[in-house]
Amino acid sequence: MTEAAGVIYLDHGATSWPKPPEVIEAMATAMREQGANPGRGAYPMALAASRVVFESRRACADVLGVPDSRDLVFLAGCTEACNLMLKGLLEPGDRVVVSSMEHNAITRPLFLLSQQGVVVDVVQADSTGLIDVLDMERAVHAAPTKAVVCQHASNVTGAIQPIADLADIAHEMGALLLVDGAQGGGHLDVDLAGLEVDAYAVSGHKGFLGPQGVGLLYLRPGLDCRELTQGGTGGSSSEQDAQPTGRPERYEAGTPNTPGIAGLGAAARLLAVHGSEWRAEEQRLFRVLKGGLFAMPGVTVYGPALSEPCVPIVSITHDRIEPDRISFLLDRRAGVAVRAGLHCAPWAHRTIGTLQTGALRFGVGHGNTEQDIRTALAALAEVLA
Amino acid sequence: MIDSRLRPFAVFGFESVHDTLAAEDVLRDAGIPAVTIPSPKELGELCGIALRVEPDAAAGAEAAFALAGAPARARASILDR
Repeated sequence: MTEAAGVIYLDHGATSWPKPPEVIEAMATAMREQGANPGRGAYPMALAASRVVFESRRACADVLGVPDSRDLVFLAGCTEACNLMLKGLLEPGDRVVVSSMEHNAITRPLFLLSQQGVVVDVVQADSTGLIDVLDMERAVHAAPTKAVVCQHASNVTGAIQPIADLADIAHEMGALLLVDGAQGGGHLDVDLAGLEVDAYAVSGHKGFLGPQGVGLLYLRPGLDCRELTQGGTGGSSSEQDAQPTGRPERYEAGTPNTPGIAGLGAAARLLAVHGSEWRAEEQRLFRVLKGGLFAMPGVTVYGPALSEPCVPIVSITHDRIEPDRISFLLDRRAGVAVRAGLHCAPWAHRTIGTLQTGALRFGVGHGNTEQDIRTALAALAEVLA
Repeated sequence: MIDSRLRPFAVFGFESVHDTLAAEDVLRDAGIPAVTIPSPKELGELCGIALRVEPDAAAGAEAAFALAGAPARARASILDR
């Protein structure tokens, strides 16, 4: 518990908090000492800013298993990354196969694309949120497919999708695999080259522990994704009217978010050193929480069984009290911060049967303690009594 | 009037700022001193950054870039201070 704030923060599915001091310090240093425009000059402060961006990209590439950091693009967040990979790769007449667990960051761009002639076919996940690879395989084989679109992990149930298998299925049929990794980065040991995905969107501020307002898109080498924004890149080819095609500049027109990128780089360096240890601890705490929820009378737990792997997110409903009331009472009585509702994922809630009621979501992350979990469970038991 | 303080240098241009900074690391690891400068017009670029090295280090720099799989996009000679 962060005593100063009086909060037991269990909303890590929305964003991580508190941020590591190293992240905050890197952002402050970027603003204080590296405040020039990166890539736009050769004087010391501009070069320092350029190097912040460069080193952060390398640190992120290292922690995500990307051999060439030029294949990682800095964007304003995972939602922008999802928009870029979908709108930059799909064209009218293309068919995509998408899981029923997707977040609005995927479903809304796909809805727009469907109005422009992209055919969207949905593969239903089971009630825990898990996609069956055979269902996906059948769907991909049913008609020519440009792309399989799937999250890495659910922001509602924590289910981890079989991404490596989906890559095999997609590639066997000549399709791309495009992944929304919002809940993957940081919470999972992600090796993008090993997973053989074609594109993978990363949130900087969730399990990755960076600041809000910055995210990443990985594009596999050679994949020609149209950029959605044109403009100045500060580098070579300024005399040309056409947007440069080299990576990463092609996708980074305009002045970048240097403080955010600095913070993300600091987070990546922390994860490179402590990631395994921190993931193990958040999984241990998550199992304490989930076990306690399974044992609570009147509570329905949505997500994989306790013994199954998942990211540290779980949602519940109660047989008498609505999720929003539970959330409000947990906050008022014990300072427990959790989120009720649909979590920007109505497809996922429809899949697990909670579209009408919503659910109450708990997300565990770095900085939580076992006392946080015990206190939250005790408060929940009291609220539901 | 010729500025007598000017000396010849080799200058290397790259595809992007990212590639230039990566090349700067290559030279540092190879022990070749380099200065990052605004791209001179001799490289055919109007903005961006480039790497300037002493003329007698240019061949070593090119070899280092090639070894790292990151060749320069352009090379030029300039007079500089």
